[in-house]
Amino acid sequence: MDIGNIKTHSDLNFEVAQAKKNALEKLHSRQLMAYNERLFKADADTINLVSTLKQHSKDFYVLDVNDNPCIINEPDVFLQKLIERNQETLNSYHQLHQDLATKRK
Amino acid sequence: MTTGVLMYCFDTPDINYHRLAERCVAQIRKYLKLEITIVTNIETYKKFKPLGMINYKLVENSKTNTRPYRGKSVAWYNRERVQAYEHSPYETTILMDCDYFIFSNTLLELANTNFDMLLHDKVHDLTGKEMIIGTDEGTLPLVWATVTLFKKNANTKAIFDLIKHVQEYYPHYKNLYRIRYINYRNDYAFAIALHQLNLGSFIPTPMAMLADSVHILDSDDDGVVFKHNDCINFTSGQDIHALDKEWCNG
Repeated sequence: MDIGNIKTHSDLNFEVAQAKKNALEKLHSRQLMAYNERLFKADADTINLVSTLKQHSKDFYVLDVNDNPCIINEPDVFLQKLIERNQETLNSYHQLHQDLATKRK
Repeated sequence: MTTGVLMYCFDTPDINYHRLAERCVAQIRKYLKLEITIVTNIETYKKFKPLGMINYKLVENSKTNTRPYRGKSVAWYNRERVQAYEHSPYETTILMDCDYFIFSNTLLELANTNFDMLLHDKVHDLTGKEMIIGTDEGTLPLVWATVTLFKKNANTKAIFDLIKHVQEYYPHYKNLYRIRYINYRNDYAFAIALHQLNLGSFIPTPMAMLADSVHILDSDDDGVVFKHNDCINFTSGQDIHALDKEWCNG
């Protein structure tokens, strides 16, 4: 057993895991989005909720991240903004994820 | 509705805070494009390089407080922040430490929402060593006053009035909430006021931080490279609170 080699691997794995954790925190932070003076997170939950509710009504209420109600008058516009922001942050995370995968090899 | 950034910056015998503020201003201009007001004293004001359109407010600051920094006790002029409500010329203010560096437009998104006061109650240590928060620091939920967004109204006036009161009678409140940290710290004064008034909202994502033992090696408009022990890492596109006070000295 080569302890030095194992330590190098362990250090590298720690760095990669930490870089991934930092990138995820950045992703969550960049997903914050203002709409109608309320704060939303452009994540899968919000996108799914808006996408579902808009099939039943032209306008509806949802809760923002601080549990304040917000009326959504233009669900299509809101959904488009959510998707754009979501994909923008995920693209950025995907690039870093690929870099990390290369680093691990 | 006017929105702007308010910063407090006082050089101490040990730390050139004006250098941090100069860098901070450049980042705000790039990512937030907001008007900036700096509250400072005449000695520090004279050291600023020309920064273009900045509102300066000159005050005579208290010089009684200290803090630990890299193994020694250094002067810490942090008592003027309680007057932010009076000092701010804006309806919506982003009150920010000059060691908080903007690398995204997240604060603009936050400023465009409806709130009285908005600040962080969680932090994320970018080194993964969890060096920022100790255990049992006090008996109340801690908040971070590093970045505080507030709108001028009766609620926030009450918050700042109470913060002033807490600062004046800090030994009493420190005992009441069993706060371990010996010296006056704005984070605790804000936390106490928000707790007593049951006001304030929190930024849903944690504040990215680098402890004072982390050295910033390099930086550009988009992020910083930092070193802790033998590990070198970087962050980009993410706002950070860096406790290394010397990296802007050149």
